[in-house]
Amino acid sequence: MKRVVITGLGAASPYGAGVVAYWKGLSAGVCAIRDLTLIETDGFRCRIGAEVAGTLAGSTRRTRADRLAIGAAGEALADAGLAARDRSTAALIVGAVGGGMLEAEAWYWRPTRDGARPRTLRAVLPSAHAEAVASRFGIGGPRHTVVTACSSGAVALAEAAELIADGVVDVALAGGVDAITRICFMGFNALKLLDPMPCRPFDRDRRGMSIGEGAGFMVLESEARARARRARVYATLAGHGMTTDAFHVTAPDPDGDGMVRAMRAALQLAGAAPREVQYANAHGTGTPQNDRIEARALARVFGEGGLLVSSSKSMIGHTMAAAGTLEAIATVLALEHGVVPPTANLVTPDPEVPFDCVAHASRAAQLTCAVSNSFGFGGQNVTLLFRRGVA
Amino acid sequence: MEQKEVLDELKTILVSRLKFDPRRAAETNESTALPKGVDGSIGLDSLDFIELSIAIEERFGIAMDENEDLTEHFASFETLSRFIAGKLPPA
Repeated sequence: MKRVVITGLGAASPYGAGVVAYWKGLSAGVCAIRDLTLIETDGFRCRIGAEVAGTLAGSTRRTRADRLAIGAAGEALADAGLAARDRSTAALIVGAVGGGMLEAEAWYWRPTRDGARPRTLRAVLPSAHAEAVASRFGIGGPRHTVVTACSSGAVALAEAAELIADGVVDVALAGGVDAITRICFMGFNALKLLDPMPCRPFDRDRRGMSIGEGAGFMVLESEARARARRARVYATLAGHGMTTDAFHVTAPDPDGDGMVRAMRAALQLAGAAPREVQYANAHGTGTPQNDRIEARALARVFGEGGLLVSSSKSMIGHTMAAAGTLEAIATVLALEHGVVPPTANLVTPDPEVPFDCVAHASRAAQLTCAVSNSFGFGGQNVTLLFRRGVA
Repeated sequence: MEQKEVLDELKTILVSRLKFDPRRAAETNESTALPKGVDGSIGLDSLDFIELSIAIEERFGIAMDENEDLTEHFASFETLSRFIAGKLPPA
């Protein structure tokens, strides 16, 4: 199996365009969860979320999600310095859920159809993002769209790593994207999972999640190829684990067995011992169930207090299909900078969470090995294990 | 940017974004019609026009008003390149 390294990063986050803005916001502990403006929230208990700030990339004719994807994908490709010839054989794996639903909802909500043109409906499917990115940047290799709810962006990275490790391709562009949509907001509202205040992962008084949006992309390539072209290597994606709870459509298995198996599979593939892992970027949604069960699962794998744990969702909200990639980028940057981004809004640590969750302010720590957890609705669990530089 | 340069860029878009055979793109000239069903046209359909509009906006950094009827501007390479050149800031 070939070793897989990360050579390019791109982000469109609630802090705005670019990886620099993303890391600056995260490492400063800035909570970007504010009043929602993209969708109507009158009459809802929760009226907040984390919207991407600033001007979006690409033509205004594209859907918001496609524009987020193009911005982040373009940055990752440029960061890696991939030429047109490299792109023409690269794989493209995109995690997606909402597709162009934001625009489709607006279309269906119109009181009349007079003069309206349903052009944006052509990009409604989750697979539209991959089409937009491929045609814009000339990506010509295998193309997948992954739809595994909140872990889609992590599965995309794991699948890209497998294609490279198996020698199917030498280089891949992989990531996840989602724009805020009414169906997502109202669905989580109906499930009573939205906190009216910015979400408080691992806090004793947490009341649910905050929705967010964004896009994250990584360029992954075989170590040999990266070395040959003297590319800058951020980190090695040394292992990944993917499991299914097969338990319930929304609730995680109360024992966290699926999560435990995902983490152990990632360790095994990486040939890493639990004590080598110093930091976990948690799924950490802020719902009472997830955080309790995830903490229990982390303790089973790494031992109580065995590593630092933080949730980026406390700052950027739950960015849905983008979450798995954006949080993997946070993990890679934590390794790169030797800084653990904090958990914002954490006032009263939950006594059932036996970990230092890095409340409020980031922490300097010499990291060599870290994991990023992503658990999709219905028990679609993914753990990614990164090692600093070329491990 | 001169109208001639715009025309060359349009031909590039035809190949890179609409996946036309480069030889076929090279055979076109200013008077070649664009829409399908017109004599001697390159046969663009409604989806091609959407893709072309996006590519033009992103390549030239201009915005085209969706509510305006753009049919006459998208009739031929000549009308389209004149329309785009007119929207570009003076060099």
